[in-house]
Amino acid sequence: MATDHDDKGHPNADGASREPRKLDRRDVLKGLSTVPALGLFGYAWKKQREYQQAKAEEVAASTQAPADLQVINVALLGAGAQGQVLTDSMLRITGLRFRAVCDIWTEYNQKRVVNSLKRFKHEPNAYEDYREMLDKEKELDAVIIATPDFWHAQHTIDCLKAGKHVYCEKEMSTTLEGARSMVAAQRETNKLLQIGHQRRSNPRYLHCYNKILQEAKMLGRIVTVYGQWNRGVTPDLGAPERYVIPDARLKQYGFKDMHQFRNWRWYRGKGGGPIVDLGSHQIDIYGWFLGANPSGVMASGGNLYYDPKTHEWYDTVLAVFDYDTPLGPAKGYYSTQTTNGSQGYFENFMGDQGTLLISESEVNYAGQLYRDPNAPAWDEWVQKGYVSAPKEQETKAKSESTAIADVRESVAPDQHTVPVTLRDPYHQPHLQNFFDAVRGKAKLNCPADEAYQTAVAVLKVNEAIEARTRLAFKPEDFKPRMNTDQHG
Amino acid sequence: MEEAKLSRSAMIAIVLLRIVIGWHFLYEGIAKLTSPSWSAVGYMRASRGPFAALFKSIANNPQMLDNANLITMYGLTIVGVLLMLGLLTRLAAIGGIAFILLFYLCNPPFVGYFYTIPTEGTYLIVNKNLVELCALAVILLTRSGLVAGLDRIVHGLLAGRTRLAPLRV
Amino acid sequence: MNIEHSAGGVGIDEPRGLRDVRRFSHEAMATVYEVYSAHADAGYSAQAAQATFDLVDRLERELSRFLPNSDITRINHLEPGESTRVSPSTLECLAIARHMFDLTGGAFDVSIGSGLPSLDLDVENSIVGATTRGVRVDLGGIGKGYAVDLMAELLEEWGVHRSLVHGGFSSVLALDPPPDHDGWPLTLSDPGASSRVLARLSSRQTALGASGVRKGDHIVDPRTHDPVRGRRAAWVAVPRPPESARGGSDQHHRAAAATVTDALTTACMLLSLDEIEALCSATPGLEAWILEDTELVHF
Repeated sequence: MATDHDDKGHPNADGASREPRKLDRRDVLKGLSTVPALGLFGYAWKKQREYQQAKAEEVAASTQAPADLQVINVALLGAGAQGQVLTDSMLRITGLRFRAVCDIWTEYNQKRVVNSLKRFKHEPNAYEDYREMLDKEKELDAVIIATPDFWHAQHTIDCLKAGKHVYCEKEMSTTLEGARSMVAAQRETNKLLQIGHQRRSNPRYLHCYNKILQEAKMLGRIVTVYGQWNRGVTPDLGAPERYVIPDARLKQYGFKDMHQFRNWRWYRGKGGGPIVDLGSHQIDIYGWFLGANPSGVMASGGNLYYDPKTHEWYDTVLAVFDYDTPLGPAKGYYSTQTTNGSQGYFENFMGDQGTLLISESEVNYAGQLYRDPNAPAWDEWVQKGYVSAPKEQETKAKSESTAIADVRESVAPDQHTVPVTLRDPYHQPHLQNFFDAVRGKAKLNCPADEAYQTAVAVLKVNEAIEARTRLAFKPEDFKPRMNTDQHG
Repeated sequence: MEEAKLSRSAMIAIVLLRIVIGWHFLYEGIAKLTSPSWSAVGYMRASRGPFAALFKSIANNPQMLDNANLITMYGLTIVGVLLMLGLLTRLAAIGGIAFILLFYLCNPPFVGYFYTIPTEGTYLIVNKNLVELCALAVILLTRSGLVAGLDRIVHGLLAGRTRLAPLRV
Repeated sequence: MNIEHSAGGVGIDEPRGLRDVRRFSHEAMATVYEVYSAHADAGYSAQAAQATFDLVDRLERELSRFLPNSDITRINHLEPGESTRVSPSTLECLAIARHMFDLTGGAFDVSIGSGLPSLDLDVENSIVGATTRGVRVDLGGIGKGYAVDLMAELLEEWGVHRSLVHGGFSSVLALDPPPDHDGWPLTLSDPGASSRVLARLSSRQTALGASGVRKGDHIVDPRTHDPVRGRRAAWVAVPRPPESARGGSDQHHRAAAATVTDALTTACMLLSLDEIEALCSATPGLEAWILEDTELVHF
């Protein structure tokens, strides 16, 4: 009596009677059936090793300057707070040689920066007068300009005309004519001119622009944008007594006294106040993300808090921009104040299908997205890695002593984050982009003619505050005309 | 003891379970073997729980530490290969259970103790180690190596040689 | 699991008794930094203090392990064989931490047992390299002392010599005292009962560090990973070397009194009383106060 075997040819359960089983082909096949798994493992393992090798090689290559990397000779013009921030970043970029540092505060800032460069084996020459620097430095490829706004135009134009590529801090200038002449000089000399709106090279912002907005259109149609920069009260900037600059030198370079030299941002004709210092960055992003220049602006501001004798510009500003975007009209609200730091700085893009809350900070508002409940699902974008999987917010229940959830309390929307982290100091990517462009390996992320559009929008705000009415823009306003009678 | 008859799909599931656990062990073993500086010292030094003193004393004794590292690296690799191939399945399963038991006891997620090594997930007594241990117990008690694995060939060869006349009731 | 130290009970004695001393505060590194200034010009003091606060903010951007793009976070993410350039201050702070690790036999360990010695510190090029995986550096404690040292140097550059700087009152640096005082009047109190004053000091040109635990918390010994019990607070005082010995601000090696004190204070929570006594005898000028349960021991 043949016993039954189960499907696998396994002897059946009673164990009492068994047929002698010879090893047949089916057995051998079943026996070897799991060996291919080992083969698969080997393949996966090999791939993993190759990937790790490649990564290790990449890292090794990036930490040393390759022998054929063209060394760029750099000068720093303006060694104040921002110049020092830029220098910090540049010291982490390979292939740069610092030839010169120019600053009128020779006793303090200039010396400090020269010493910090010498620590890294650079041997920069120190100058007070930038024209002397341009005259004497024979091997100079690029100049980084971080002087007060009212000097930007002249410094930039002279450096471009001396044959140097220029990275100039924002805002381009205190006047539109100044900004226009910078673009003209760039076109005439055909050298590179990058303006320091560093978010244009920030990997998170680029990801949001390219993937989330352009490709996936996750926000739908952006109808309103709200942005702010709030800062608490701070005393005016001072200087150590022993390093005060003699009046004669201050006046030579356009400053009426040491206080104005240190606090130029607050003075008319030297800077533009907080709306330009701070707002310029964020209003630049408004235009970039919306894909449009404003058609009008209305603004209200005042000097509500600080001493008007030392703070000539508005310490509190609210601006309302009108945009005609490709998808329809939109409003951009921007608020800045310097008496309270609540919520810091961020930009909030609000579309009919989603919200993007972002700031430059890697810690606060580093990129949060919310999907409107009526919008199509974002699963595809989560899978592609454009945004993280949603972190579910808990239902906020308003309960008294009896734990019954109040159904009128709305459920907070799921929060996605932008899965991109910047590991370097904030200005490094933008400087890297500039130097890559100098080497011919990249295009500038913020060339002068694009930055000009932001300058037009931003500089109009102070005007609008004074005019107490809505000021309109014409599309031609955003194209820098070459005014041949006002050259240079 | 009666062995329950397992359906074909159940056996396939168990074979897959065996392959996947084997892969896990194999990768853990090979990764440690090929890493330039892996050592169990960190994990053992951070031991908590009833056996902490024992693990720490091993960690602090260079000779014993070396042995522990070798046994772990090679042991995990061998267990992994055997499980994937379905060869000496029961032995491999027992070995796997022994390893996991050691890892589990080194840092058991009991209430009142805590890790110095940050871990992911939130666990109360049951953590992934315990789950894998129980999975290996299932492998041990079923015969997936005989069903789909080299054990089947080995068993067939041995059975062919030693089997005498069939017993009949 | 909490290995945070709270301020171990240092205070300024009778601050109202110090007339014409102005106090400026700033939040950074999860604590409050303050500058007390007895300089005649209040406005100038405020500007000098603000300059020191800007400096602290800069250091936080480089040293904080909570910032994804700080030097320390980049170091904590290095794969074996990778290296990264850091700012000179980061490297200096790490180098001091490493030195204190060696000095205290591993009791002071900014990597809490995860392998500080395995980091390669290239001082000349300001590059840190990792040789193994898993090293996690936290400069939280020693970073405060380092910031306080740099703040004090900046205050001296501004000519605000009669001042005191502290970070959360756990790293305190007294420079020159207010007029008519021999030193800044400081008190050491029981961290569990802050009204109970254990010692009064009059400090000038001295760095004082405080470390203490709240009730129920433990400090973990990085050498054994065991919690330490019994020791409730430790204070360490180190004299600040005179200006001539320190060299100008251009040089790499600054006075690191508060940095070193920070490290020693943390170590003194773990070292035995004998070891602390030996340390104090070996180092002239070093003073320590240890609070075990209710008994205060002074070396």
